[in-house]
Amino acid sequence: MRSLRREPGVLLALLAVVVLVGAFIVYPQVRVILTPGDSYGEFFSGGTWRNSLLHSLEVMALSTASAVTLGFVYAYAMVYSDMRWKPFFRLIGILPLLSPPFVVAASYVILFGPRGLITYNVFGQTISIFGLGGIWGVQTIAFFPFAYQLIADVLSRSDARIEQAARNLGAGSWRVFRTVTLPLSRPGLGAAILTTAIYVLEDFGNPALIGGTFTVLPTQAYGLISGFGDLPGAAAVSTILLALALVLYFAKIRLDGPRSFVTVTGRASSMPRPPVAPAISWACFAACMLLAGIIALVYGSLVVSALTVAFPQNTALTFGNFEYITSGANGTALQNTLVYGLAAALLSSLLALVAGWLVERGRWTGRRALDLLLIMPAAIPGLFFGIGYALAFNEPWLDWLDRGVLIIISMIFWNIPVGYQAAVAGLRQIDRSLDEAATSLGASSLRGFRDVLVPMLGGSLRVGFVTTFVRAVTTLSVVIFLFTPSSTVATIRIFQLVGDLNWGRATAFTVADIGLAIVALGAVALLARGRIALGGARA
Amino acid sequence: MQDSQRGYDRRTFLKLAGATAAIAACGGATPAASAAPSAAAATSAAAATKAPVSGTLSVYSALNESTNNEFFKAFNAAYPNVKVNVLPLAAAGELQTRIRTEKASPKSDVFIGGSSEFHDPLGKEGLLEQYNSPNAKDIDAKFKDASGYWVGWYTGIFGFISNNDRLSKELGGKKPATWDDLLDPSWKGKLILPDPVKTGGGYIFIATQIFRFNRDEAKAMDYMKRLHANVAQYIPTSPGALTLIDQGQFVGCPNWAHDILTEKGKNNPVDLNVPADTGFEVGAISIIKGTKSLDAAKALVDWSLTKEAGDLNVKLSNRGSTRADVAPAPGSPKLSDVKLVNYDRQWATDNKDRILKLWQTTVGI
Repeated sequence: MRSLRREPGVLLALLAVVVLVGAFIVYPQVRVILTPGDSYGEFFSGGTWRNSLLHSLEVMALSTASAVTLGFVYAYAMVYSDMRWKPFFRLIGILPLLSPPFVVAASYVILFGPRGLITYNVFGQTISIFGLGGIWGVQTIAFFPFAYQLIADVLSRSDARIEQAARNLGAGSWRVFRTVTLPLSRPGLGAAILTTAIYVLEDFGNPALIGGTFTVLPTQAYGLISGFGDLPGAAAVSTILLALALVLYFAKIRLDGPRSFVTVTGRASSMPRPPVAPAISWACFAACMLLAGIIALVYGSLVVSALTVAFPQNTALTFGNFEYITSGANGTALQNTLVYGLAAALLSSLLALVAGWLVERGRWTGRRALDLLLIMPAAIPGLFFGIGYALAFNEPWLDWLDRGVLIIISMIFWNIPVGYQAAVAGLRQIDRSLDEAATSLGASSLRGFRDVLVPMLGGSLRVGFVTTFVRAVTTLSVVIFLFTPSSTVATIRIFQLVGDLNWGRATAFTVADIGLAIVALGAVALLARGRIALGGARA
Repeated sequence: MQDSQRGYDRRTFLKLAGATAAIAACGGATPAASAAPSAAAATSAAAATKAPVSGTLSVYSALNESTNNEFFKAFNAAYPNVKVNVLPLAAAGELQTRIRTEKASPKSDVFIGGSSEFHDPLGKEGLLEQYNSPNAKDIDAKFKDASGYWVGWYTGIFGFISNNDRLSKELGGKKPATWDDLLDPSWKGKLILPDPVKTGGGYIFIATQIFRFNRDEAKAMDYMKRLHANVAQYIPTSPGALTLIDQGQFVGCPNWAHDILTEKGKNNPVDLNVPADTGFEVGAISIIKGTKSLDAAKALVDWSLTKEAGDLNVKLSNRGSTRADVAPAPGSPKLSDVKLVNYDRQWATDNKDRILKLWQTTVGI
């Protein structure tokens, strides 16, 4: 990229990104932090946050380690191995992201609770899912898809020739993996660890439902708001979360170092990857099957309870629950969910790509700050993101603004970190000489980006699109302070039905929400002619 | 303006008269309903073709999903010219936070449902409109705010839900007759409680203990600490706790009697009993300050306080009414039948933060 002064187009794009980030990420959070109140100091000196902080760190370490390991295995299996049923596993790998709060965690309790169908009825155990162990297990499954998607995207772009060369020089497959594959996946691995760790820190739904007395920072913040009406205290907790994210961010920068991870250069490479031993493919298949089994059990039980009167006590078949969700304003809620989700996903992934390019290829000062700000939303619990928007944009002069639009904007910026991370990781793999070739031939930087880089970044775009979409259609906490009767979404309806103890209808709504989301993703994939494949990289 | 005001008052009077007449006609067990308004109501009901109150209302409702639909349909039948947009969110704490964050440009006109503890602080913060509904005169003073920021229109009693099968197998079928019975070691690990911090019910449970020990907070906290040893989990929502008992994941849980009754009515293997010295909630309704539809908001408050609305809510939710002339749901405990603690609502509301923090340090979570 040339100097900004010589490229007005780039300067304009940069200004636009900076203004958007300032208005929709920084300003609402500043409003939250500056909520008038005197409990800030009182809160910090009170020390009730110490326990929650320790718990949060404990959960973060455990869940991130297991989720990223699982994500790596899954990504390796999908990209490298010759295992069968890959389309099935692609779908399974995205299901845990489609987890409307309350319902899925409750499904774990039905299966693995003290009188769980699996733990008690099958194995006769009364072990409790509640507490640290439960959070760890559920979060591992809930967050491995983030790691899987980010790592698979990077792995699929790695250069087969380097591995082939190592093979020809006599290295065994384990050695190739250890000395070539693993090191070259570091941008993806780093992004995966950072993103997963931050999302684990921010997770509210799982600790709330199965954490029991094991309080983490987000559940403590929620307690402060709903029990004490203590917004400043809750904002203080939110500040601790942001500080932790900051620490993680700088740790990752240190870890990455100044190394080069370029695997895509100008020279053509059509060499196939070295074949993977059948035993490894089978091991991959077995591991993925095991995980798929658990996931299928959890989501299968949702389908069963949607089709029964009162699962698991009364398993008489009924279609009444599905009839209900097509009645009244319920259809509008499903429609809103899809429209908001698709709009947010499209805009968020495109913006993430542009922002990633500006930061990764740019040479202007202040890049680091923008980089950080674009990762920050991952560390903001949805509850605060929503409250921030309610505080910042609920002004009389903004009353003309449709709430649906505000909800879309909140989803764009709350979900931008994964797409952005994917874009940066992708760009770091592509040799600068490629886009520089375009610019030295006279193209503007913007044109080089559009015509050379964007076509190669389909994977990153896909990661951003899919992640934003699935998070947008399943979030409750962001919209709970923003929705209006006409901009109600599916998760709000599900929350209502759970509160009304209508488990059958709640699960039917969940199944419809997840089903429509999958259909929508499939349709987008078809429209993009396979460029945006369902659930991550293609082998 | 004045005309419409007068007309509206007349209409309210007629509605009340009509409701009383209807009860008299049904031979309801109400105290001495005069037969005189009956004829007047019959003629005027036909005459009142055009409702004088009109406008659009945005209502934040913490009522149950199933209650909302029927309740506002009935209100609309009484006030056809008022358009009601309901924002349903069965979580009064979230609605309270919404009202606070929307202070700069309020998006709601009426906040209905949820324990008065959620309405009272909003009134003190100046976010509510004072209104003394003419119909509030029928409501006992202990069910309404002295300054008129909110008025209670329904009641809920705290009871105990138990899973029939597990109770008879593991505890010899012995339901707790008093709250002290829950300290028995045989309940260890089988008891759950709605989280006192995250749910209104959980806090009312603690406050109930304090009033039970004549405001001796040390004794109450000692009770909560010993109870903590038996409690397997604190559940973040009150209905969520009921589901876990339905499934038999745990054996028993203090919870709202009306919701327990509803669950029992759905053929779940659970039962309700009300231990002695229990507490209760007062479900409130309030008007948001700055509303542009004050007349319509007042109409909704007035209507919610009528016998018609009370009867309907009892039918829909199994809750009680703050009106003495509304009969409780079949099988449900009546406020006058159960042994209640001397529950000082204002004290419980004013001391909520302090007591919750005290509880948190006592049990160490």
